[in-house]
Amino acid sequence: MGDNKSVPLHPPSSVPLEGAVGLPSRRDFLLRATLAGAASFFAPALHPQPARKPDYSLEITETEWELSPKKRIRVAAYNGQIPGPLLRLTEGRPVTIDITNRLRHEEIVHWHGQWIPPDVDGSMEEGSPMIAPGASTRIRFTPRPFGLHWYHTHITANRDFNRGLYSGEFGVLLVEPRRNPAPWDGEQFLVLRDWEPYFVSSDDGSEMVDYAAASINGRMLGHGEPIRVRPGQRMLFQILNASATQIHWIALPGHRFQVLALDGRPVPTQAPVEFLRLGPAERVSAIVTMNAPGVWVLGEPRASFRNAGMGIVVEYANRTGKPQHPRDAALRWDYRAFADATPATRKPDITVPLVFTSRFQGHGALDRWMINGKSFPDTDPVRLTPGLRHRLQFINRSTDPHPVHLHRHAFELVSLQGTPTSGVMKDVVIVEPDTTTEVDLIANNPGNTLFHCHQQDHMDSGFMALFRYA
Amino acid sequence: MKIALLSLALAIAAAPLVRAQGNYEIQVYGADTVPPHSTMVELHSNFTAAGQKNFIGGVAPTNHAEHETIEITQGINDWSEVGFYIFTSEKNGSGVQWVGDHIRPRVRVPERWRWPVGVSLSMEIGYQRALFSADTWTWEIRPIVDKAVGRWYFAVNPALERTWHGPDVDQGLGFAPAVKISYDFTKQVSGGVEYYADYGSLTSIASLHDQQQQIFPAIDLNVSPKWEINFGVGVGPTAATDHWIVKGIIGRRFDWGHRSKP
Repeated sequence: MGDNKSVPLHPPSSVPLEGAVGLPSRRDFLLRATLAGAASFFAPALHPQPARKPDYSLEITETEWELSPKKRIRVAAYNGQIPGPLLRLTEGRPVTIDITNRLRHEEIVHWHGQWIPPDVDGSMEEGSPMIAPGASTRIRFTPRPFGLHWYHTHITANRDFNRGLYSGEFGVLLVEPRRNPAPWDGEQFLVLRDWEPYFVSSDDGSEMVDYAAASINGRMLGHGEPIRVRPGQRMLFQILNASATQIHWIALPGHRFQVLALDGRPVPTQAPVEFLRLGPAERVSAIVTMNAPGVWVLGEPRASFRNAGMGIVVEYANRTGKPQHPRDAALRWDYRAFADATPATRKPDITVPLVFTSRFQGHGALDRWMINGKSFPDTDPVRLTPGLRHRLQFINRSTDPHPVHLHRHAFELVSLQGTPTSGVMKDVVIVEPDTTTEVDLIANNPGNTLFHCHQQDHMDSGFMALFRYA
Repeated sequence: MKIALLSLALAIAAAPLVRAQGNYEIQVYGADTVPPHSTMVELHSNFTAAGQKNFIGGVAPTNHAEHETIEITQGINDWSEVGFYIFTSEKNGSGVQWVGDHIRPRVRVPERWRWPVGVSLSMEIGYQRALFSADTWTWEIRPIVDKAVGRWYFAVNPALERTWHGPDVDQGLGFAPAVKISYDFTKQVSGGVEYYADYGSLTSIASLHDQQQQIFPAIDLNVSPKWEINFGVGVGPTAATDHWIVKGIIGRRFDWGHRSKP
């Protein structure tokens, strides 16, 4: 853990704090001023500017990107590409990453799924320093755990669709185990993404975000290179839903996904399934045996999303023709399919109920979201006791599903809608409307830890809380 | 005295000219269309508590008439719908009378175009019996612009009307705007004001006396996405307008076929 460091290469002479990332309250201002001040005071002294080359460099810039020949977008992205560069790290081997912010507002990069200290985790709420406009920062941390993870901006967007997860600031972070048997013939990364967001009236009366376009690996269906396979190949699909707000389903007609890992964590039961369901920030690692020669669309079975671009062509060798797309029928997904065959029962040391509710703000506004009756930054911090098993009860009293995420930790699913389960470790879980999901968290990574819904519009509207170690 | 009587007679005679909208469907349209694979069935119930008491030009009086209109709207895709109306009138002594039918195709700017306001355009064509409207065949084109900002909602319908058969054929385009402003008191209850007018011919705006002007304080109950409930009491301050109308709309959306999971 001693190698985890955050070093600004060129600390800004002044840190623009007010209004930079849409945290308007006085409390926020004071918190951020304190954190930024502390970071700029301590960081250069502790970590003088290193001279050696970083393992990776990320430059955050505005870029023009072609989703299809008819659809070009201008968004902020890492190194001018969508998704950002694949960062392939090795578990336990320290990595150095330089980040330069070429945008006109402060930025921050979150290393989603990594169990690293709060000062490098990439969340200003935990105490990670922001990167000022025009400034560079060197991040150093020791990757763990292995698995499919990702990195993305963690700033507030509010109603600005050029910021936060609505932008193109995301990329795959693959942490390889030190020993990797790799029992597959090919590895294919699939990053799901929705574009051109806009507000619409939702069925329940408040505004929600919808999208005009979608892509896999930065290209709309029918554009970009197909995935070329041979009969009999065992392909590992590493799938990330990088959407700011949308849950997505994925299918490949005639094939089944043998799920190896969820959110980078191996599952006890590698069940084969026809459909994958991924909430925002969720990842699935699954093997597909290519045993149905043809030309297929791997993508959304729901026509509206597929027509918006959510799909990629899979082409067997020596096969041509119109790609056959998956059908929107009997979509099924249950985390318990990948759990222990017989659920283990363990008693928690501490039980922490977290009740999710919303407050109506008008049919022309987003709801205000609350945890235990309060919106961030007024949410009550959750106290964690090191080494103890905390049972977190996610009680969703709203009509929306929430993909809730805990930073810097993984938790074990122990109860879904009243049914016991065990063995599935995750860092994001979709809590269905009007249900309760229980997870167990072993408090083993001290430091401030952010908990939030991974829907950008929800986290911007108060759906966050800090977990603090006692 | 003769001049005064003549003026009164002219005013009464002119009143039907600007009463093209009728008290059958009293609604300010929002820009939304019914989603595809869905059908909206609405019942418009309007009671004229104080209205025209005499036959004018062969048109039946509206006073104490109960107008029931069934509106069935089918969503075609995410930017169009078609509505169909059955108008009826009920009055003591004359029972329930079929008044006429209209058809109303409508297109909207799809939300995915990301316009800052909702925009749609409806066109309504139909027939009504001469007993209830001197103009028996009419056509209306209705631009619709709306916007919800926080708890406030604004909608404007600057409709243009044209008579194809009846005494107003020579009038040309008539201008009949409608406006709505409302406020969300709660998630379920919104209240506001609806304004309906008919200014007569676009090229020769009627005098205020002869214009139709109606103001409805109204409430909307948003109890479910499948239900539409609106209630209002309208006052018509000009001589050409029915003076008191109570209106209500109740609608139910039916969704057909397979709907995707979230």
